[in-house]
Amino acid sequence: MTDTKIAKMTAKDVHVFYGDNHAVKGISLDLHQDEVTALIGPSGCGKSTFLRCLNRMNDTVATCRVEGKITLDNEDIYDPSIDVVQLRARVGMVFQKPNPFPKSIYDNVAYGPRIHGLAQSRTDLDEIVTVSLEKAGLWNEVKDRLDSPGTALSGGQQQRLCIARAIAVNPEVILMDEPCSALDPIATAKVEALIDELKGRYAIAIVTHSMQQAARVSQKTAFFHMGDLVEHGDTTDIFTSPKEERTRDYITGRFG
Amino acid sequence: MNDHTVKAYDDELRELRAIVSRMGGLAEDQLVGAMEALNEFDTDKAGQVRASDQALDQLEIDAEKAAIVVFARRAPVADDLREVVSSLKMTGLIERMGDYAKNIAKRTLAISEMGPVAIPQILDQMAREARKMIQDVMDAYVHRNANLAMEVWERDEVLDNLHNSAYRTILGRMMESPEKIGVLTHFLMIAKNLERIGDQATNVAEQVYYTINGVMLEEARRPKHDVTSTELVTDD
Ligand SMILES: Nc1ncnc2c1ncn2[C@@H]1O[C@H](COP(=O)(O)OP(=O)(O)OP(=O)(O)O)[C@@H](O)[C@H]1O
Ligand SMILES: [Mg+2]
Repeated sequence: MTDTKIAKMTAKDVHVFYGDNHAVKGISLDLHQDEVTALIGPSGCGKSTFLRCLNRMNDTVATCRVEGKITLDNEDIYDPSIDVVQLRARVGMVFQKPNPFPKSIYDNVAYGPRIHGLAQSRTDLDEIVTVSLEKAGLWNEVKDRLDSPGTALSGGQQQRLCIARAIAVNPEVILMDEPCSALDPIATAKVEALIDELKGRYAIAIVTHSMQQAARVSQKTAFFHMGDLVEHGDTTDIFTSPKEERTRDYITGRFG
Repeated sequence: MNDHTVKAYDDELRELRAIVSRMGGLAEDQLVGAMEALNEFDTDKAGQVRASDQALDQLEIDAEKAAIVVFARRAPVADDLREVVSSLKMTGLIERMGDYAKNIAKRTLAISEMGPVAIPQILDQMAREARKMIQDVMDAYVHRNANLAMEVWERDEVLDNLHNSAYRTILGRMMESPEKIGVLTHFLMIAKNLERIGDQATNVAEQVYYTINGVMLEEARRPKHDVTSTELVTDD
């Protein structure tokens, strides 16, 4: 896709191998601020693998090899000079299963700012925690029990806590891998409303198996199939008049 | 196109398609029946056409219900979404065709009471053209033939031209025989009805085309040679 806007993140001809398994086959995709990109496609097509390349989560997988170029603000994120911890603060991630630390709600959110030295004082830190929880739409529900364990929250609250944790370090990009798959429709709607809220400040990529969720939250949709990017375009176009037969078959439920 | 993994989804869409097709067939029958009644001054037949219109109304309601079920249960997207939305619009358009046929039947009843009068030949010619448009557009729908839909859409001009001639012919007769202006006005309106049936078929063609290709059939309206539309009094 050629875009006139300057991309926040750019992936160019990205290939990923797990040993001999060629999981991602030359994907080029841009992420923009102000925009949510939904990654859809059948299980095993490489969505999570691609997403994890964007903040180098795949570094921890010994067999994994990434080729191609991924830049954040035109800077190659695989350049040896890049500080990976710093990168993951700028490119935050929210996972399928809410995974709060076994710590208090406060400490869950304060953890990142502490290790990145974002707060000069306790007052600073309080401020960051409050604002992050507010942005994540969780403040009102937890403000009276910041000391209780994050794991004691409901699944939907835990997921919003994880989003608060991700945004506490001032990221520029947020990656979400099936963030609502364990949530009920109300909690899902809250997370989706939150994604709408957040999209002005961050570039967001979300992996989802729900076509309706992709249609609801994203402005761009990318359809992956067997490691290829089959089609990428405006979400409204993809869901009304997809160009590729494989895209149509997948989103209309005609696959296999 | 492949079937859906969920067979029931295909069944629901097939049902919706069947209703649309039936409506197309019925609208054609109604047009043929109305013209036969007119040519034969057959008030029984005209009465039947008027009564049969109810079936089209009912089918439109059935289609709406079937479409709502698909929306609620399947959240259709892409080709399926276009198909369901187009079905709703098409049934509305076909129901209108039926209304025009019914109006012809109603006028036939009035004309029959006015004593013998020569029916303008051109009305038959218009009706044949309109019928062919309905047949072809429904054929395009059933066989997903976008080219045929486009062809029907382009052919609307033929009917428009016939309508213009009919208008001039009938107007001429009005001037020759002012005492027949009452019955001739009915013919004028019947010509208009036939032209409107063609318009509906054209609109159906647009829907068929969009369903198949996902792009609108040329937004830009082709130049109309229809001079009558602004001069005619509106139908009752
Ligand atoms: N850590 C890993 N080690 C080895 N192979 C992996 C690893 N993670 C993924 N793969 C392989 O890479 C391919 C793509 O997997 P990936 O998890 O990216 O798919 P996905 O599109 O996210 O699927 P899902 O929708 O099921 O989450 C698969 O063949 C998978 O088996
Ligand atoms: Mg995955």
